[in-house]
Amino acid sequence: MRRSTSWLVAAAAVLVVAAELAPRAVRAQPDDFIVRWSGFWTVRFERAPSGAELLERLPDDVVLIDDAGGGELGAGEFGGLKLSEAALEAVRDYDYAEELLPENACRAPSVAFYMQAPFPMEIHAGRDLIVFRMEYFDLYRVIFMDGREHPPAAAPHTLSGHSVGRWEGDALVVDTTHIAPGTFMNNGFDHSENLHLTERFELSDDGTTLRATQVYEDPATFEGRAARYMAWTRRPGEYILPYDCDPNYGGELER
Amino acid sequence: MAPRRLLLILLLAAGLPGIAAAHHSFAVHYDGGRTVSVSGVVEEFRFRNPHGMITLRATAADGTATVWRVETNSPNVLKRRGWSEDSISAGDEVTIEGFPAQDGSNAMRVYRVEFADGRELIGQRPAAGIER
Repeated sequence: MRRSTSWLVAAAAVLVVAAELAPRAVRAQPDDFIVRWSGFWTVRFERAPSGAELLERLPDDVVLIDDAGGGELGAGEFGGLKLSEAALEAVRDYDYAEELLPENACRAPSVAFYMQAPFPMEIHAGRDLIVFRMEYFDLYRVIFMDGREHPPAAAPHTLSGHSVGRWEGDALVVDTTHIAPGTFMNNGFDHSENLHLTERFELSDDGTTLRATQVYEDPATFEGRAARYMAWTRRPGEYILPYDCDPNYGGELER
Repeated sequence: MAPRRLLLILLLAAGLPGIAAAHHSFAVHYDGGRTVSVSGVVEEFRFRNPHGMITLRATAADGTATVWRVETNSPNVLKRRGWSEDSISAGDEVTIEGFPAQDGSNAMRVYRVEFADGRELIGQRPAAGIER
């Protein structure tokens, strides 16, 4: 009896220690990251990417799409990606006139497109949550930093998806699933609901520049993996503006 | 089965969206490789996202009038470049330089608006060395 009691005490102690260690493992970043990462960030237009180390971390097989920050691709251009037959068929069937209809004019893109759009954002960092408020289409995203996992596959898909993050040293690594289908290249090429997104965010030593890479996997629409690189500059004292999209805009263009 | 309906079924089976809508793309709709200039009188200026719109009436020497639709960048972007909803008014005489529509219609994306008094608003600057 005494022996079994000892085992119970030992097991309980292990559980307590494990419970204590688990949250600390995902909260390894020092608290000053809350100040260093939070604030207003505006898109940094770079003639050549300044984040060479970040790009070198990308897997060798990744196709880097060169359209971030407003450098859009034209009709029929896919940045070197090999599209699936179904995706090509969807592109061929895409009707540009439909995007001007009131029901479509304010249809927002997903996180696979809006992060690289030429609009600023605010980051509000906490220990268990990091929130990105995007000026573009008044969108926002939540990154869970508390060690949780993604929900079941059948859970709802949204434009921002479900994001879980962790710290790798000073870098923020984010894994996102459950992203609703949306524009991927703004030319009729859309990603599917099975897009898997991984991101790596790094802050410059002086805290003034934020850089990131997004890596996409979506076998339903293209072969292999693709990536985008993006960068932002901190602007203290500024705020994002309301977007308040007007669905009547398309009708004005077509009159 | 109609081909379009069959396509929709195949897309849904693959987890693809049906006929989704992209945002109105500059690269798809406008020629970023050259600009055109049109002078006229502003009929209307709307300054709302996702894009602003200037309606411009240009009158030729023979009296023929042409109406141009001039799309702007997002007003949020332009506010940070000094624009406001009061920057342009109906009746203003202006010369607008912009990127022409790919389809040849009387539409463009604004680069700059020059007023009769010399005032200028900048929308989207062209790349260096393009045809103007």
